[in-house]
Amino acid sequence: MTVLHEPVETVAKPPRPAARRRGRRRTPRERAMVILGVALLLGYAVVAIAPMIVMVIDSLRPNRAVLSDPLGLPTSLDFSSYTKAWTDASFATYMGNSALVTISAVALDVCVALPAAYVLGRYQFRGSGVLIAYFLSGLMLPIRLGILPIFYLLGNFGMIDSRVGLVLVYAASGIPFSVFIMSAFFRGLPRELEEAARIDGAGEFRTFARVMVPLVKPAIATVVVFRFVPLWNDFFFPLVLLRSTDKYTLPVGLTQFFGEFQTNWSALFAGLVITTAPIVILFLVATKQIVAGLTAGMGK
Amino acid sequence: MKWRRAAYFLLPAFVMYSLFVVYPLLSALGYSFWRWEGTARGSFAGLSNFTGLFTTFPLNQQLWPAFWHTAVFFVGTMLVQNTFGLLVAVLLTELPVAKRFFQTVFTLPYLVGGLVVGYLWSLLLSPSFGPVNKVLELVGLGSFAKPWLGDPSTALPVVILVNAWQYIGFPILLFGAALAGLPTEVAEAARVDGASPWQRFSRVTFPLLLPSIGVVSILTFIGCFNTFELVYALSGAQGNQPTGPGGATDVLGLIFYRVAFQEGGANAIGQSSALAALLFLFIFGIAVLANWAIRRREGSLT
Amino acid sequence: MGKRKGFAVIAAAALAATLGACAPTSSSSSSTAENVTLSVWSWRPEDAAIYKKIFDKFHESHKNITVDFKPYKSTEYNTILATGLTQAGGPDVMQLRAYGLVQPLVKANNLVPLDGKVAGLSNFDKTALDGSRGKADGKVYGVPLEMSTFQIYYNKDIFAKNNLQPPKTWDDLINAAKTLQTAGITPFAAAGKDTWLLPLYDDLFAASRYGGTDFEKAVLSGQKKFDDPDYVAALDVLNQLKPYFPKDQMGLGETDVQTLFATGKAAMIPEGSFALAPIKTIDSSLNLGVFNAPPAPGAVVNKPLQVGWVDASYGLNAKSTHQKEALELLQWMSTKEFGQMVADDLKQVSLVKGVQSSDPLLKQMAQNYQDNPTPYLMLVDFRYGTPLGSDLEAAGLQKMLLGQQTSAQVAGDIQKGISQWFTP
Repeated sequence: MTVLHEPVETVAKPPRPAARRRGRRRTPRERAMVILGVALLLGYAVVAIAPMIVMVIDSLRPNRAVLSDPLGLPTSLDFSSYTKAWTDASFATYMGNSALVTISAVALDVCVALPAAYVLGRYQFRGSGVLIAYFLSGLMLPIRLGILPIFYLLGNFGMIDSRVGLVLVYAASGIPFSVFIMSAFFRGLPRELEEAARIDGAGEFRTFARVMVPLVKPAIATVVVFRFVPLWNDFFFPLVLLRSTDKYTLPVGLTQFFGEFQTNWSALFAGLVITTAPIVILFLVATKQIVAGLTAGMGK
Repeated sequence: MKWRRAAYFLLPAFVMYSLFVVYPLLSALGYSFWRWEGTARGSFAGLSNFTGLFTTFPLNQQLWPAFWHTAVFFVGTMLVQNTFGLLVAVLLTELPVAKRFFQTVFTLPYLVGGLVVGYLWSLLLSPSFGPVNKVLELVGLGSFAKPWLGDPSTALPVVILVNAWQYIGFPILLFGAALAGLPTEVAEAARVDGASPWQRFSRVTFPLLLPSIGVVSILTFIGCFNTFELVYALSGAQGNQPTGPGGATDVLGLIFYRVAFQEGGANAIGQSSALAALLFLFIFGIAVLANWAIRRREGSLT
Repeated sequence: MGKRKGFAVIAAAALAATLGACAPTSSSSSSTAENVTLSVWSWRPEDAAIYKKIFDKFHESHKNITVDFKPYKSTEYNTILATGLTQAGGPDVMQLRAYGLVQPLVKANNLVPLDGKVAGLSNFDKTALDGSRGKADGKVYGVPLEMSTFQIYYNKDIFAKNNLQPPKTWDDLINAAKTLQTAGITPFAAAGKDTWLLPLYDDLFAASRYGGTDFEKAVLSGQKKFDDPDYVAALDVLNQLKPYFPKDQMGLGETDVQTLFATGKAAMIPEGSFALAPIKTIDSSLNLGVFNAPPAPGAVVNKPLQVGWVDASYGLNAKSTHQKEALELLQWMSTKEFGQMVADDLKQVSLVKGVQSSDPLLKQMAQNYQDNPTPYLMLVDFRYGTPLGSDLEAAGLQKMLLGQQTSAQVAGDIQKGISQWFTP
């Protein structure tokens, strides 16, 4: 389609910092500032990681050792907490459930929110402002407020102890956030894009799917990360809405390590390492998307 | 686009959201007009649950300090989390090499969840075991070694810092995505004209980022007025008292959580719904105002 | 034709027979009991393995009943239970909080009154049954599980090294604390961040100061209020002990102080009977003893009192579809067989008459409570409305120890908060 081949001056050209930098020497002042910047970043990186390192180290020590000396070093690498979490506490099953529920919920959320965000972001019609406020208002209340009505609602559909019910609630709860962020990004795209597409004879849905959506990939990746993580880590809704232990998700498994009076820190941390590993991987993939999204608009 | 076509685009999201979010939340808000015995609804209560918030001791005395703490929390978060987040995002655009490494490392805390972050930092800040104080002593700043979470004057700032630590990935990623989409011609032109990096940032980049700054600010505002998990985990098992030493870190989200789920009172549903309704009205009002103001500013740029 | 008709008759008969078997039977049911699985909910994930052993024992004598024990995180338990009891698929038997905290479930008609249904209720004292009694109707809704006591644990080795004995008088206590401080050991591992412990500390050190059970009766009948000078003075006792608490008390949580004590940095720890197992988990070789605080100066009661209260009970879900079997389980929970396992395996103080812990410390705590009881006042009597008495006292004591309020102000706030719902 010709619209994709046009040299679009009006489409945002993503910066190509590497290319530019190669051709230009920095002044000493700029170089010093960059070095300072990197030093600051590295310094903060240590602070960012330190607690997680504590967590990993403590997961390799028996709980008794963690309780008597929380910040000591392991005398030997003790993987028993990992075995305890993976097999005794059924984390293998829970991982599968978490993946199923979270991926479905985020996918559903993004799929319904994208078209809505597109319309709200790019078209001014009577009531569009009201609709945006309607969607945004869902964020303003703690979702836990609705636990009793949600419980009754799902009960009426026979969806207590159902992962489908959980997915629906999760997906719906993410719609405000997704719509809000993605509509802002859609709004930021140049006005002329629809014109160009229409001239080329593309229908509305095609314009949306083939032209607009690829241009907001960074936003989509951001939304995916920030919806995936809270759902992956949520223990409250599965705890209340699920009954069969074989349907539990990872965070519910983690709550088993919180005793009333004493917590099994070693097992908890091992469980956390297991729980966090997949999202780190997801995150790396998503940030690649954000970077890749930069180069999507050029050279096609 | 025709109205009907637009409706098809909007319908799935609208239906799903209305059924599973709006309907339950509205029902829950409606609960505030009744008295409750546990989960059984009692007699119609009119506005008594609302007035009860301001007349029951000690709840009424906790509301205003909690409001103040929440406001301070919001301002502190904007200053620390979002300002540094923006700074880091800008720095990262100048550094394409280790970009993803830094993005990942800085967002790592977010991936773990509020409760765990709270427990981990309680451990690090513990006056008896924590390395924070030990490091301060090593460096010779031993006089600064305090019971950070146990001292009324340091507890709230520490909570703000830990919260920023956890969520800084959000502004970094969001601003990063926005910066990536900016047209570079104007900035290039400015550089060619001899503008300093600061001038380029403040005159060119910053105004173009206004929409995303608006988004981040509104979401931060809404988040701060609802947050409770991290503050709860940092402040220890206090049961139903205002959190923090002498109530120093009590925030509105926590009051809601306490009244709804912790206190065990028979009318918990009625009272917590009333509180949530008031909170909602406040947040909604401010968010709508802010959104309108930002859109006007946006409009004036084009 | 005949064959087919014959088949039809047999099929119909078989169908009728199966349908008959599936029909709900009356209580005087068939001779073979069907296999039933009971769902038991609790807030103690740490006890999961022990309960499995306990319920296996139950299964030996009740071959048709299997128990599925499901513990939930303690902080979310109340919500999970409240929602779970509203619909089918909830528990059959569940652990219940005590005194005031069980009243919402009673009022919502979620529980079945057990008077007359569980014969074993006679195996408990009246005070034990108060923990699961409905305030309005006086009926018992739960079989008492355990009680908790609160006292001072001390490290015998550290005491021996410093030539100390469990103090008999208040001066002995203070002198012991001073000796320990000079030796570089924290006298009392007292927490301040987990504020729920503060009212317990006050009752432990100062119940004798305000008058124990006599004061309880006076307040319940309206003769005295919480701004009574004896009660104010009792609150102030913690101020007198403050120099002997850890320096950064407000930054220390329960786990921190347990670790302090278990690693020998503190010599004494005011803690509950429920803390014995956690402390022993940190260091099982600790040489421990317990004692109660001697009467404080000006005490109304002149002997050390043992603070105690009923902690939990097991009740029956009104919507349970296995009422008969659930009642069998509850009946078993009132026997000495179960009580002994509570004492020895769960390491709690059982309330079943005649059960004694094999652990000498738990046995001593139970005996102390028999001899000189005093209730944890706020938990036992003042959780029947909100604001909870224990919350008011906890918040107030923290402010007092931070120097933000005087003991008189704290007492005044407690009285103000409680008087909103409490009528003698």
